[in-house]
Amino acid sequence: MTDLSVAPPNVPDGSTQGVVDPARDGRRNRLTPLLAFCRFEVGRLLRSWKFLAITVGFPVIFYILFLGDNTAGKVVDGSVPWRVYLMVSMCSFGALVAALNAGGTRLSMERASGWARQLRITPIPAWSYVATKVIASMLVVLPVIILVEAVGAGFGDVRLSAGTWIGLTVLLWVTSLPFAVLGVFIGFLVTPEAAFPVVTGLMFVLGYFGGLFNPVDEMPGSLQFIAHLMPNYHQVVLALAFLDSRTLALTDWLILAGYVAVLGLAIAWKHRVEEARGLA
Amino acid sequence: MPPRPIALSFQDVSHRYGARTALDRLNLQVAQGEVLALLGPNGAGKTTTISALLGLLQPQEGRIQVLGSDPRQAVADGRVGAMLQSGSGIGLPPGVRVDEALGLVRRFYRRPAPYDQLVERADIGSLLRRRTDRLSGGQAQRVRFAIAIAGDPEVVFLDEPTSAMDVESRQGFWRMMRDFGNEGRTVLFATHHLAEADEIADRVVVLNHGKVVADGPAATLKAAVATRRLRFVTDRPDRPELSDLDGVTEVNVCGTGVSIDSLDADATIRDLVGRGVPFRDLEITGAGLEQAFVALTGCRGADAVTPAAALADAPPPGDR
Repeated sequence: MTDLSVAPPNVPDGSTQGVVDPARDGRRNRLTPLLAFCRFEVGRLLRSWKFLAITVGFPVIFYILFLGDNTAGKVVDGSVPWRVYLMVSMCSFGALVAALNAGGTRLSMERASGWARQLRITPIPAWSYVATKVIASMLVVLPVIILVEAVGAGFGDVRLSAGTWIGLTVLLWVTSLPFAVLGVFIGFLVTPEAAFPVVTGLMFVLGYFGGLFNPVDEMPGSLQFIAHLMPNYHQVVLALAFLDSRTLALTDWLILAGYVAVLGLAIAWKHRVEEARGLA
Repeated sequence: MPPRPIALSFQDVSHRYGARTALDRLNLQVAQGEVLALLGPNGAGKTTTISALLGLLQPQEGRIQVLGSDPRQAVADGRVGAMLQSGSGIGLPPGVRVDEALGLVRRFYRRPAPYDQLVERADIGSLLRRRTDRLSGGQAQRVRFAIAIAGDPEVVFLDEPTSAMDVESRQGFWRMMRDFGNEGRTVLFATHHLAEADEIADRVVVLNHGKVVADGPAATLKAAVATRRLRFVTDRPDRPELSDLDGVTEVNVCGTGVSIDSLDADATIRDLVGRGVPFRDLEITGAGLEQAFVALTGCRGADAVTPAAALADAPPPGDR
């Protein structure tokens, strides 16, 4: 039933040599379709210089710029040192940038190009396309979080125990799921022309209102209300509570889960509408 | 010879996009192993037909079966392949090599076609290490063809597959296609090139406004659309019998110049001479596809060629 028995691709002749290394292809054949698909997507992302430049550049450059501020002794959220808040914020920003660019712009383009349709007429179920995109986004978000943490440890004077580093990384990673789903939703929603401005706009709107560039308690009251609706805000609140050894509030988790659920349903809805129109 | 089982069937299928009717009670049956050309002007319903066969579109009325099952089931079982119109791009994912894209799609099928067979068949051996965003139009179509047949499908649909190709790639492509069809697979392709339909297909179905207006072997159809345009100058452009001449479908008079569309140029000329209409500077040209469609859809229509009834005696779908 599997395709393992299928003759491995041979290397025909000199002109086309190195076509596919049989050993490598054999190994890859053992991956399930979904795993192979995820690997394929992550490979594409990591080979795009544009994607890497935006994803790595934005959070790291912002972080280094903000580090220059004279903020010695400043604390956020009661007791969290400014430099720690800044690292957590930039991790959140990096995750947001990576997820929106991985999903939004690229997905929108490949939907317009007909590649998404081509995959729709293979035996893999429609949901696996969406799932793969979300998983691929999550897989590129993780190294971005680790990179920003490394900058924090190296230049930001953030000192944590090994266990706390690991815990913080996992927490930031898991709470980035709403961004990954949001990116995919945008890819489903907008045309390729609109995708870039929408993604860039959302990056900064969510970043600003989520309190990544300035703590939310320093905002005017009316803006604070908006900030409390932003996923980044709740991500940062959870991370800071974790670093401060406080209880992680259920509300923050629920709001983040709500984002995932609502956006997930929105993607499913968009898919159904397109299917009814014969556009899916 | 026993009738071959039915691969594709449409029963009274209708679909509207808003006020526009894309399919209008379409009835069509395609036998297994048939290579069928779907011919028609833009907006005739060709793409809608293919989308419906793939389950990408659920028609509002009627019933479609592919290999005896629901179109979606046939797709899920990996028995169907297709090359769709590629929209704004080339229909391939940017940023990967050709071998990666092909390898990925193969992995989605339980029983894919052997890799080297695909490479050979689509003639993409020299393209495998190339990035998909650095292919010419014709090269990209070859890769897309390989992807379309990656699952070793029993039925293949192609929606204007040669639209982005130059003449040479076009010929190569159809050679590929014909070899593929010769193995007993069912092929349905949409085109608006009459020559392609004629050369490749066993059977040609002409669609117009979502209906089958002609259906028959390519040769019959070719005869039906063998419209010629006769132009000449005459001193008697007022002669009423011009439009009564044998084979005439349309007459245009402009001063002393006459232009006549005819389905049988020889007969028209004999008649012209026989009736003693004076003429000079006679010129006969092929009337082009536009007139061919007019001939099929307007003047003689489906009566001119074998109707779909030829297949009506075939066994019901699902009988495999």
